[in-house]
Amino acid sequence: MSELVAVLVVGLGSYLFRSFFILALANRRIPDQVLVALRFVAPAVMAALIVALMTDSEGNVAIGLPEASALLAGGAVAHRTRNHIWTLFAGMTVYWVVRALF
Amino acid sequence: MSVDRSVARRGVIDALPLFVPAVPFGLVIGLAIGDSGMNLFVGWSSSWIVFAGAAQLTLITLLGSGAALVAAVGTALVVNARHLMYSAALAPTFQRQPLWFRRLGPYLLIDQVFALVAVRPEEEPDRFRTYYLAVALTFWSLWLVVTALGIVIGPVIPEEWNLEFAVPILFIGLLILGIDRWPKVVAAVVGAATTYLAAGLPNRTGLLVGAAVGILAGTVAERYRGE
Repeated sequence: MSELVAVLVVGLGSYLFRSFFILALANRRIPDQVLVALRFVAPAVMAALIVALMTDSEGNVAIGLPEASALLAGGAVAHRTRNHIWTLFAGMTVYWVVRALF
Repeated sequence: MSVDRSVARRGVIDALPLFVPAVPFGLVIGLAIGDSGMNLFVGWSSSWIVFAGAAQLTLITLLGSGAALVAAVGTALVVNARHLMYSAALAPTFQRQPLWFRRLGPYLLIDQVFALVAVRPEEEPDRFRTYYLAVALTFWSLWLVVTALGIVIGPVIPEEWNLEFAVPILFIGLLILGIDRWPKVVAAVVGAATTYLAAGLPNRTGLLVGAAVGILAGTVAERYRGE
């Protein structure tokens, strides 16, 4: 039940973000400060999420060599190819190979 | 009518190549729903209720990892706050649209739809609407199918493959692909470091603190860059 509520709240919130200016404030400008801050939402949140997934609930690092090498490989391939499929492919391959070797 | 049809066809054709990178993303979301232990139908319904890959994956992964509801919902909403920019950018174009479309259109306004329609603001309103709907509904229907597929094939995949590790790899991809200037590097590094330092906070709320401090750091870095 609480999961459904969570999904509904995120859905409603997303709709409000998407419709905010289109429906409510068609001819208003967003303050420049807000526009600048919005640009940094994606990198800050993604980096925070990765760290959160890689630590346990007490704040200890919960990854080993396979995970660390896979994240590095995935990051490098993403940088080079700008492509999600190659990123995923490279990251998982390195993960499996390193895990099998060590 | 034939003009409409050719515009619609153009929209579908433009949408398809952009959907290809979303396929593994959707499959991973399906797998994550299976792994999270949440009700499968509720998890899948996020595809049409939320309809935003990164926010869905955030919400599902955090709920599955035992985060507090507030932290999971809050982080997913922060992930989606970028849509405010799309809304602002398209607001003038939508002014010439009928009310029903001004209400429906935003529901379908995802990254890829924005990328395709934002370059044609001068388009005649009827054609713009047809193109928008063709692009968006193509994404919408394929997205529902692919995430469902991920849920279905999830249990068939051997557990020792640890496919759930695809989630952080996808996030690394999203992070790197979004970085086009060094203040964004600052935002990412500070966000990561703060989250690490705040990881002991209850119910994974450290994530929200880290994200907020990261955004602030990026904004400050941008200001120094501008001076």
